[in-house]
Amino acid sequence: MELVSIVKELFAGVLYLFSAAGLKALAMFAIAGVLIYLAIRKDYEPALLLPIGFGAILANLPPVIDAVTGTAAASVLGEHGFLSVLYQAGIANELFPILIFIGVGAMIDFSPLLKDPSMIFFGAAAQFGIFATFLLSLVLIPIVLPSAAGDESLILRLASAIGIIGAADGPTTLYVANYFNLKDYMAPISVAAYSYMSLVPVIQPPVIKALTTREERMIRMNYNEQRASRLSLILFPIIVTAVAGVIVPMSAPLVGSLMFGNLIRECGVLERLSKTAQNELANLVTILLGITIGGTMVAENFLRMDTLLIMALGLFAFVFDTAGGVLFAKCLNLFRKNKINPMVGAAGISAFPMSARVIQKLAKEEDPYNFILMQSISANVSGQLGSIVAGGMVITLVSLMLGGIW
Amino acid sequence: MLKWLIAFMEAASVASPAAEAPASSLAALPLLVKGLLVTLMGLLGVFLVLTLLFATIRLMQKLDTKESK
Repeated sequence: MELVSIVKELFAGVLYLFSAAGLKALAMFAIAGVLIYLAIRKDYEPALLLPIGFGAILANLPPVIDAVTGTAAASVLGEHGFLSVLYQAGIANELFPILIFIGVGAMIDFSPLLKDPSMIFFGAAAQFGIFATFLLSLVLIPIVLPSAAGDESLILRLASAIGIIGAADGPTTLYVANYFNLKDYMAPISVAAYSYMSLVPVIQPPVIKALTTREERMIRMNYNEQRASRLSLILFPIIVTAVAGVIVPMSAPLVGSLMFGNLIRECGVLERLSKTAQNELANLVTILLGITIGGTMVAENFLRMDTLLIMALGLFAFVFDTAGGVLFAKCLNLFRKNKINPMVGAAGISAFPMSARVIQKLAKEEDPYNFILMQSISANVSGQLGSIVAGGMVITLVSLMLGGIW
Repeated sequence: MLKWLIAFMEAASVASPAAEAPASSLAALPLLVKGLLVTLMGLLGVFLVLTLLFATIRLMQKLDTKESK
């Protein structure tokens, strides 16, 4: 009998997989497998999807009983599990998104935007989807999730984080979700945000083609080859930080870190730091962020109705952000003599530089000699600014609506 | 001038508790009204900030043009 109990203990992990909880874990292994497949085979943002997928596998391994607390959790998620440590060190205190933004800022070249500043408005227009989804979420969450029906605070906070998914800005999405203490929903929100970011080449083209004619997609645009002055490139990040930080103080951490990275790049005297921020820092934090996000994909938190709702609404937000930018461009064309290619409006989301490349590819499909990459990059970088400001506005306004208690 | 500045700062710090009253009245609004307010003010805020940045960039462009002349 003792031998049987010893064998049972030794093979507890295998026996766990045949339990109800174990079957859910197997389902999560399958989902993790899909993410890893998309990363490796399809090359969809492998730097994000592969760590997330692997983290999900680790998080759903059979639990062990913690000797101190007596609670059961996968060993990587216990009180001293490395994914728990990383979560507390980088996600719970919003550090990882901030560090990522330093790296992203060091990679961004604002020259195209400084040469054609009218593109900045596409960065604003493409945030329509955030707020449209926010409104839709306020209606749907109480219906689909009866447990949340009476909890206005939860509905507002969850709707905020879901809306921000549409910006295709992973760090801002994490920042908003964490600010509103949505730990139970972090897994589906972050997976939705990063998955849709990586699926930009799949999601955007059908939306763009549905809203534009072939003639519109063939519109050519002029481009000024001259680079913006060094003084402008240095002043721009400082001014953006000041303006956004004064008008939307809640956006200061994200704007500040993005612009700090950009200033390191543009100042011309910190070549080493710029290279470090673009490479080592960005890559290191991406690895840690990805696997930590994957660590939140525990079956009991992920395999719920909430997840389906969040994924569906996140997709809606993404589609409407794309549509918002395209329709804004078409509206502007009603009043402009020099027409804008409406596809450039779709680049106003924050998925830099992938969205700009997708737009250029679509333009070349219609006309092999149509080059709108630089204009698309202008809209893309302004979308980065727009999404951060939108995140700050959402945090500020929703906090006010909650009685200022956040 | 200094006395005026101190009086202004004192007035501002006395006025700040009054800002809490609007916050609690906002919290009492129906959910969808809150949502519409967030939507409208949010979009306004985003456009405002980016319009200011647009104006800043145009100003920098003019300064660059003057310098190159």
